[in-house]
Amino acid sequence: MLEPELEIHPKEKILRKKKNQEKIDLVKAILLDIFFVFYSILVLQRAIYFKVILDLRELPFAWSEIVLILFISAIIGTIWGYSRTSLGTKIMGLSRETKFAKLSAEIFAWTLFNLTFIAGWLVTKISLIDLFSSEGIEGANRIFHALFTPEFGIFDDALFAIIETIYLALIATLLSIPPTLVLSFLTARNLMKDNVIAFSIYYILRIVLNFVRSIEPLIWAIIFSVWVGIGPYAGMIALLVHTIAANAKLYSEAIESIEEGPVDAIEATGANKLQVIWYAVVPQIVLPFLSFTIYRWDINVRMATVIGLVGGGGIGTMLMQYQGLAQWHEVGLIVIMIAIVVWIMDYISAKIREAIY
Amino acid sequence: MMSSNVLVEVNDLHKVYPSGTHALKGVSLNVYEGEFLVVIGLSGSGKTTLLKCINRLEEPTAGTVKFLGKDITHIKGKELREVRTQIGMVFQQFNLIKRMNVLNNVLAGKLGYMKTLPSILGNFPPQCIEEAMKNLDIVGIREYAYERADKLSGGQQQRVAIARSLMQSPKLLLADEPVASLDPATSNSIMQYFEKVNKELGVTVVCNLHFLSLVRRYASRVIALKSGEIVFEGLPHEIDEAWFKKIYGEEAEEVEIR
Repeated sequence: MLEPELEIHPKEKILRKKKNQEKIDLVKAILLDIFFVFYSILVLQRAIYFKVILDLRELPFAWSEIVLILFISAIIGTIWGYSRTSLGTKIMGLSRETKFAKLSAEIFAWTLFNLTFIAGWLVTKISLIDLFSSEGIEGANRIFHALFTPEFGIFDDALFAIIETIYLALIATLLSIPPTLVLSFLTARNLMKDNVIAFSIYYILRIVLNFVRSIEPLIWAIIFSVWVGIGPYAGMIALLVHTIAANAKLYSEAIESIEEGPVDAIEATGANKLQVIWYAVVPQIVLPFLSFTIYRWDINVRMATVIGLVGGGGIGTMLMQYQGLAQWHEVGLIVIMIAIVVWIMDYISAKIREAIY
Repeated sequence: MMSSNVLVEVNDLHKVYPSGTHALKGVSLNVYEGEFLVVIGLSGSGKTTLLKCINRLEEPTAGTVKFLGKDITHIKGKELREVRTQIGMVFQQFNLIKRMNVLNNVLAGKLGYMKTLPSILGNFPPQCIEEAMKNLDIVGIREYAYERADKLSGGQQQRVAIARSLMQSPKLLLADEPVASLDPATSNSIMQYFEKVNKELGVTVVCNLHFLSLVRRYASRVIALKSGEIVFEGLPHEIDEAWFKKIYGEEAEEVEIR
C-alpha cells in the first residue's frame, strides 16, 4: 500500500518544487531588473544631466518625477526580464544562452558600475584643488608639527585615562562571556532545528541579535551616556551590548561547524541532550571561543577609544576635550599613546591565540 | 550454536531523506541473537542508513523496526534513550572526543545510565572506572588510558570506540564500516576484536563491510544491499562470482585483503 505512493511521491514533489522555485526566481529577477533600470535612470538624470551638463547647484526634486521614472523602469524591467536577456535573469541563472542575452547583460552591468563610480565621485566632492591649496597645506603643517611635538605635561593624566580604557574594555569582554555562551547555543541551527519551539526561539533570537549588532558601539554609547550618564560606565555597557551580539554570532557559527560524528556517537550511547552538548559539542568549541574572546578584548580596547569621543570615558573622552580646545600638542601625546597601546594589545592577543592552538 | 531468538525485526523499511534521496526501499530482515551479521553493498546502497534506523539516529519514513519485540520505529525522548543504551555503535571515523583522554572517552559510553549532573561534573562511580579499565583490557590498550584520544593511531582509536560501546553492556553492536579507514593489517586485528566481543561476550554484531575476504572470514550470515533493496541473503561462502557481479556491478573485480 505504502510503496507505490512512496515511489512516486518524492520525485514528483521535487519536480513541482523546482517549477515553483523557477517562478519565484523569475519574479525576483524582474524586480532586480526594475531596480537596476530605475537606479540607472535616476543617476543619469540627477548626477549626469543636472550636475554635469546643466551644472546646477541645487538639484530640483519632485515626487511626481520619481514616480514617473519608477513607472518607466517597471515597464522596461518587466519586458527585459521576461525576455530572459537581462542582467537580473543572468544573476538568478535564468537567462537564455544566446549571444544577445550575454552581451546585453554584460554591457548593462558595466554601465551600472561606471554610473555608480561617477555618481560616487560627484557625491564625495573630490577636489584636488582643496588638497593642494596653499592655505590647506599650511593648516596641515601646523597640525602635523604639533602632533609630532607632543606635550608631556599631561602624561600622568593620559596614562590614567588609557588604563581606564583598557580596564573598561576588559570588564566589557569578561561580562559578555556568560550571556554570549547561553545565546550562542540558542542560536546554533544544528542544536535548535529539532522542534518547533526550539526553532522559533532560534529564529527570534537571531533577529534580535542581528538588530543589536547592526547598531554600532558608537551609537550604543550615545544611548547609554544619556541613560546612565556620561563616563566609563556608559562606555562599558555600550561595548558589552555590542560584544554579546557580535560574539554570539561567531560562537554559534563555531557550534554550527563542529564535526557531527562525535555527536552521533554520544547520542548513540543513549545520552540526553545536555550530555551530548557537554561531551560532544563543548570540547570542540572551547578553543575557538577562547580565541574569539581574546581577540574581542583587543577590538574593544580600540573601540573604547572611539566611544570615548561621545562620552564613553577613558582616553577617548580626554582626546575629545583637547581636540575641542585645539590644543594639538596634547592631542599629539594622546594619539601616540593610543597607537602604542593598540599595537601592544594587538601583539599580545595574537601571541596568546597562537599559543592556545 | 546459534539461538533462533529474534533480536531485531525490520519490516518493509523505507527511508526518504529531506533532500529526496530514497535510501531504503522496503527492507525487511531479522537479526538473530548471537549472530555476526555482515551487510555488504556499494557506497550509497543504504548500509549506513539501515544501521542508523536500527538505533534510531535516523527516523524511518515508513515500515517498522522492532527491538526485542518492542516497536521502536517512532519512539522519542526517554524511551528512545533507554533503547539506545542497549545498542552500541562503532563508526568508520571512530568519532572519539579528540581532546579528552582515552578513559573519559570510554566512560562516555555510560552516559545513558547516568544522571545528568554527576555525568557533566565527570563524577563517575569507582565501579564505572573499574569497568572502563576492564574494557580497555579487552581491547588491549589499558596502558593508553590517560593519553589524549587524538594522540592514538587509527587502529587504537577504533579499539577505544569498541571499549566505549562495551560500557553500554550492549545486547547489539552496530559497526558502520569500522575498518574502512584503516590499513589491511590493522583491519584484520580490529575485526578480531569484534569476533571476540561476539563469541566471548555473546554480543550480537551487525557490521557493514566492504571487503569480501573479511566477510568470508568473520560473518556468520550476509545480507547484500543494492540501491536500497536487499538483493542477497545467505551464508558467506554462497557469494560466488556471479553473485558478486550482481551486487557490485559487471565491472567489479574482487580485491583480496589478508
